[in-house]
Amino acid sequence: MATLPGQDENFREQRQASDHESFLSHKRMRWLKIALVLCLVAVVSYFWIDVTPRHNGGSWYGYTLGTIGAGLIVWLSLLGIRKRNMSAGRWSLKAWTSAHVYLGLALIVIGTLHTGFQLGLNVHTLAYVLMMVVILSGIYGIAVYATLPAALSNNSKEMTRKQMVEAVAAIDRQLHDAAQPLGREDSDLVIAALEQDTFDWGIGARLSGHYRNCTTTRALNHFASDWSRPVGSEEPADKVRALLGRRKNQLDQIRRHMRIKALLEVWLYVHIPATIALLAALTAHIVSVFYYW
Amino acid sequence: MAFLIRTIDTTADGREIVRDRKVPTRTVTIGRGADNDIHLPDLAVENYHARLDQLGDSKMRVEAAGTLGFHVDGRVTKLAKFDAHEGVELGFGSFRLLVSQESDGPITVTISQALPDAASADALAGFSLASALPGKRVMAWLALGIILFAFLAVPIYSNLTRTKVEPSIAEAGQVAMDASWSTGALSQAHHGLEDNCEACHAEPFVAVRDETCLTCHKDIGDHADKPRLAKGRGPMSKGDALQWAVAETFGKEGPGSCTTCHTEHEGAGAMEPTPQQFCSDCHGTLGARLTDTELANAADFGTAHPQFKALLTTTPGQSDPTRVSLGDKPKEFNGLRFPHDMHLAGNGGVARMAINLGSAKGYGAPLVCSDCHTPTADGAAFLPVSMEEDCEACHSLVYDKVGPTFRTLRHGDVAQMQADLAAMDRSPRRAAASGLSGAEGGRRRPGAFAQGGLYYQNFGRPVQSLVAINRALSRDGVCGECHIPTTTNGKPDVMPVKLQDHYLAHSWFDHADHKQEQCTSCHKADTSETSADVLLPGISTCRTCHMGEKAQSADVPSSCAMCHSYHPRGGSGAPANMPGRKKNPPVDSIAFLERRTP
Repeated sequence: MATLPGQDENFREQRQASDHESFLSHKRMRWLKIALVLCLVAVVSYFWIDVTPRHNGGSWYGYTLGTIGAGLIVWLSLLGIRKRNMSAGRWSLKAWTSAHVYLGLALIVIGTLHTGFQLGLNVHTLAYVLMMVVILSGIYGIAVYATLPAALSNNSKEMTRKQMVEAVAAIDRQLHDAAQPLGREDSDLVIAALEQDTFDWGIGARLSGHYRNCTTTRALNHFASDWSRPVGSEEPADKVRALLGRRKNQLDQIRRHMRIKALLEVWLYVHIPATIALLAALTAHIVSVFYYW
Repeated sequence: MAFLIRTIDTTADGREIVRDRKVPTRTVTIGRGADNDIHLPDLAVENYHARLDQLGDSKMRVEAAGTLGFHVDGRVTKLAKFDAHEGVELGFGSFRLLVSQESDGPITVTISQALPDAASADALAGFSLASALPGKRVMAWLALGIILFAFLAVPIYSNLTRTKVEPSIAEAGQVAMDASWSTGALSQAHHGLEDNCEACHAEPFVAVRDETCLTCHKDIGDHADKPRLAKGRGPMSKGDALQWAVAETFGKEGPGSCTTCHTEHEGAGAMEPTPQQFCSDCHGTLGARLTDTELANAADFGTAHPQFKALLTTTPGQSDPTRVSLGDKPKEFNGLRFPHDMHLAGNGGVARMAINLGSAKGYGAPLVCSDCHTPTADGAAFLPVSMEEDCEACHSLVYDKVGPTFRTLRHGDVAQMQADLAAMDRSPRRAAASGLSGAEGGRRRPGAFAQGGLYYQNFGRPVQSLVAINRALSRDGVCGECHIPTTTNGKPDVMPVKLQDHYLAHSWFDHADHKQEQCTSCHKADTSETSADVLLPGISTCRTCHMGEKAQSADVPSSCAMCHSYHPRGGSGAPANMPGRKKNPPVDSIAFLERRTP
């Protein structure tokens, strides 16, 4: 079906505008403004309204803030459902995400004022702490999403992840052949290096980048006892040493990739389960207050 | 120089066929075309794809011929240099060329075809953190389950299945895990209930009821009758009405219930005093709604509080004290003659006598307030002044000496006094006075007991005893010095003495809290010439330090609760002199100096 050129151009402009606008600056930060107004109203009324003997969640003002806070928490957690269903327009997923971020930040103020700064070892404070954990992990998530993808791209040096894995496999095949003349002790070290799974590492190693039990490093240290000897002499060990070095370099690239991926993804492992835990604690918080009314 | 080209093919049953051939040049070409030295039948490979050059003994170079690159150890490139001793794996399409050299042997190129790698998708997943952590869903469901179980299911189940018992401050409650529901520590008085939530939270989803409070606080008095309270409170503001409408929707008991004022779980320590607002809401404009009330409006101690009313007896013979405003400069009649100024003067007869009595008897200096006024054990108030304890050291009632001891009139009994003095006539005069051993009718008594001495009391000569009895009650006599003579049933008597030990009917004052003040900074006793002066300070004196709850500049911002209690003490219900209520005797006691009536 033909479309008028003007319309088409207009549509493309719109598309581009929406494509290049971050959810943080969506609609000229509309939701940041709304969140700021919300916070300002909450803070001013907190000091303006005189609750006796002191502010707490159980005053009429406290219940008001609590109701707003609980509503926000439920709505914010619905992003998990909403994001699976993309749409455009006023309630586009981008608008929704923008609101999610800024209203989530406003929840710090609303939730904290709701407590009246009275915290203790109880389910109510548990809900507050979980809420703060969720929000802080969200802030972390935004920060790493803004900075780390560039680092991820720099590290890959035009290699796909598949190529990185294949590179290790290519080196491994040569290593296997080159190690054939080695003695028992040396070949055991090579076998250990070959057998170690590239990805079988825990969250600690992935996040820190320190792979303490790396068998490739261990084998390399063994074969590299004398760096002065040039490659190409009679020793088959020299060839193995060179291959192990290449394997180590390739592993380092993969591990840098894994580290950045881990830093990018780890917040979601806090954000999502803590959100569900928060919904449970929030339920317990509200039910317990009315149960012991 | 030559290349050894080794081709490895795999048969259908997995057997490998190895073919070797030699190419005696320094350069081999690689491509799909059949004319290449290394012929790779793969559509992904160009007809003439790349060239492999031997530069030195083992130095090698491989270069793409066209625009398509190739893999060198997995990395895509168009040009690569390497050492054949180290070896390298070149990739063209699905073919792998392993280039190597054994010491001085030829450059060996081993060609094999890779099978499609099924496991690579799994390998890529390894990059993601998901391969190192339990799933988000698992963690989420686990946390959800633990929290709902521990903080909801356990307390609710054990609450519903408990056996109901009378609440006790000494016993722990039966509900498990409900400590996690507590929103804060209880006040000091309720500390014992900290582990017994269901003592107050008796029914699920039912707000704490007054009746629950009253199971322990049985004797608490009502502020006033319920209808009168409601009338005094007047109509609520729209905001309050809305708040109560919401609160009652959620099952709160309504205004006037215990929990309206007494909020709990506000942290350990004393329960928070009721704020001024709770009182001033009604009492600020009470007169407009309760037209028959005796109470003046009061909203703020600093700016809107009536002058104090003291419980006083103002006329001779008045049996019960009445409340009189200090603003009316009332005169008190308590039945005693007592000039405070004379007793507190730094010189003069009283001061001289106190100095003469000496420090051994607790004096030794001009009198101070505490010489006669003894505080109660808690320091809040003062014990009634007692003739025997506080006056008699100076105002001696000794009238005779027999042998080594003295005879003293019994205080508070006029008939006994008369009898004692009359009986003195019939008893022999003591030796010293009767003059048995002296020609002039008796030796002078020594020191303070001599005539005109400190302890000399002239009751008159024996023959004048009837006169002495009458003189004792006269204004100059031993009784009349302090008491006001009268006649009861035709017999001589003194006016009964009524000393107020509590002047405030609806509030209290704690002297212990005001220790740092001088007595005279509030009580103008040193200038009071007569016991008719009411020495209570007026409200303006209190206001030099005490102002309303919100007065920031005052030394002591004071809410109503500092001096007043909402609940009448002693559980006697509403204040005794409230209209429409049977008048009970006031709770304060009046010191009567007992005397026997004939």
